Amino acid sequence: MNVLLVEDDKRVGDFIVTELTAVGHSCVHELDGAAGLRAAQNATFDVMVIDRMMPRMDGLALINALREAGNNTPVVILSALGEVDDRVQGLHCGADDYLVKPFAMAELLARLEVLHRRVSAVVGESQTTLVVADLSMDLLRQHVQRQTTTVTLQPREYKLLEYLMRHAGQVVTRAMLLEQVWGYHFDPQTNVIDVHVSRLRQKIDKDFDHALLSTVRGKGYRLGPQLDD
Amino acid sequence: MKTREVVSSLTFRGIVKYVTALSATVFLLLGAFYLYFSYTSFRALGESVMSELETLELVYSGQSLAGVNQYIDDQLASSSIHRFYYLVTDAQGVKVAGDLPARPSYREFDDGWLGFELALQNWGQSIDVEFLAYPMLLGDGYQVMVARDYADIVDRAELVFRTLFRFLIATLILGITGGFFSAARTLDRVERLNQDVSRIIRGGANERLQVEEEKGYIRVLAMFMNQMLEQMEALMQGVRRVSDNIAHDLRTPLTRMRNDLSQLRDRSGQEEGGQLERIIEECDELLSSFNAVLRISTLESGSRLAGGSDVELRDLLRDLVELYEPLAEERNIDLVLEAPQPQVCKGEVDLLFQMFANLLDNAIKYTKPNGHIRVQMSKKLTGDGSSRHIVVISDSGPGIAFLERGNVFRRFYRVESSRGEHPGHGLGLSLVQAIAQYHYGSVELGNNNPGLQVSIELP
Repeated sequence: MNVLLVEDDKRVGDFIVTELTAVGHSCVHELDGAAGLRAAQNATFDVMVIDRMMPRMDGLALINALREAGNNTPVVILSALGEVDDRVQGLHCGADDYLVKPFAMAELLARLEVLHRRVSAVVGESQTTLVVADLSMDLLRQHVQRQTTTVTLQPREYKLLEYLMRHAGQVVTRAMLLEQVWGYHFDPQTNVIDVHVSRLRQKIDKDFDHALLSTVRGKGYRLGPQLDD
Repeated sequence: MKTREVVSSLTFRGIVKYVTALSATVFLLLGAFYLYFSYTSFRALGESVMSELETLELVYSGQSLAGVNQYIDDQLASSSIHRFYYLVTDAQGVKVAGDLPARPSYREFDDGWLGFELALQNWGQSIDVEFLAYPMLLGDGYQVMVARDYADIVDRAELVFRTLFRFLIATLILGITGGFFSAARTLDRVERLNQDVSRIIRGGANERLQVEEEKGYIRVLAMFMNQMLEQMEALMQGVRRVSDNIAHDLRTPLTRMRNDLSQLRDRSGQEEGGQLERIIEECDELLSSFNAVLRISTLESGSRLAGGSDVELRDLLRDLVELYEPLAEERNIDLVLEAPQPQVCKGEVDLLFQMFANLLDNAIKYTKPNGHIRVQMSKKLTGDGSSRHIVVISDSGPGIAFLERGNVFRRFYRVESSRGEHPGHGLGLSLVQAIAQYHYGSVELGNNNPGLQVSIELP
């Protein structure tokens, strides 16, 4: 994944670059809005991470300029401005996701990967069956089965599983699930999501010898065959 | 325009007071004028009687009694409307000439003036007429009395008085009517100003009064109010800038610290990793309270909800209950939603969800296993015909003591008994209140006997 990062705080920027490089992505880091715009115009990126309050060109102005120039690369805004208004403003001007500082790197990474996958898998939107290992979901009949056993799910559990299956193999954070499956952007005081996930796990993993839905410590959840580590 | 409002308005009352004072003054002047008019009229009458007597005296001294008789007869023959009446008596008091009866019963005034009343034939009718008379000795025991009726003076005075009194009444009526309309107009302008101001309160500080539509002192007032609003907006922006700066300048280094720690964790071994994980969790806790405080400050200091979107509260509460249902079930708590009909309110959906989630989260946290939690939604009709949304979340937990209820909305405040026992940073209810107020609503805590009952009221 080829990422453009526009962030005026050098230490935060360096940290993101290090973390992204560590998991095998390439990352170009620019320190102000104008330089960011130039970089975006001169090369093609898969995803962009843009700060809001920056010298020389504000993040929103930068996104506006990109969108007006026909550049539709997915953008995640990374900003300390975290009020509802700020968020709405950011998404309204053409950003695809909004992450408030302070952020966990796992959260940013998960969101970047989901955005990247969404763009590269647009063709797959029309598919009628989702398959992850021996788990399959028929989207037309709303039918889920693992191996030959039918799994009966509540409507929300179904949506939760669908989202996890669409992002199989990727880490999905709790905040992402709240936003995407429940449709609310809020800050739960307790980990309500964990209970839902463990219920789902009961249904899809309990009677089988290898688990598909795993908890990634300090990050979130991941659906897919167990990694070896 | 409501008549009662106009009548009780300050302008109208001021005008009524002024008109009343003016009328009283005019009434006093009128009385003085009436007295002066009467006085001069009577004086003129007296003078005419005296000069008639002088004429009679001259006639008597020249032509004696026969001349007087002749003179009186001449006078009586003339058909003047306001003529003199005469009585000439001899020493024994016997009438010798004149047209007055011999001995009218009269009252004596000062200075030798006499007053009496006589029935006169006028147009075939007998009318009592008041007379003023003055007697004089002619000589040889003869006495003459000249009298003059003063009904005309009284009539004229009455006419003057009545005219002026009517004028006074007309002034009062016109003044008060005029006052009513001018007060109504003022009230109208104030009402428009009120509407503008309430629109500004609703819409936020960037709105202004329309100065162009106003005239005179209202225009000046509107201009001053606009200046005040500008200052307020500048202050509010200042507060926002400060919190933005805090957000940018303080949260960023905290983020760096957290990220450095997380890098360190990834590189370290099992034992150190666990320790670092705990430090990172502490760090997250710190950051999350810090965020919550900033969020509350922004909600409280900033402008209130402007616009917002239509939020269907029943759907929102269904989602909320569905989200927390497994958590409640895990603790064997019975969670029920009672929302018989859809209710739509204006608001920010994420904030409203956060508010109800905080409350439900608290309820689940404090309710013991096998307890009950009820979420009820209803409508309340207010006095002015509009309705407000009421959402009541009641649990069977320990509740909050009456004396503590005002405190729990304070930031970082935690009920003593719950410290240590339950996690949290004492910001949940502050945020609930900030969100409710941001939506022009309110939060109230009550007793569920046993347990806590939280009522949210939203417009």
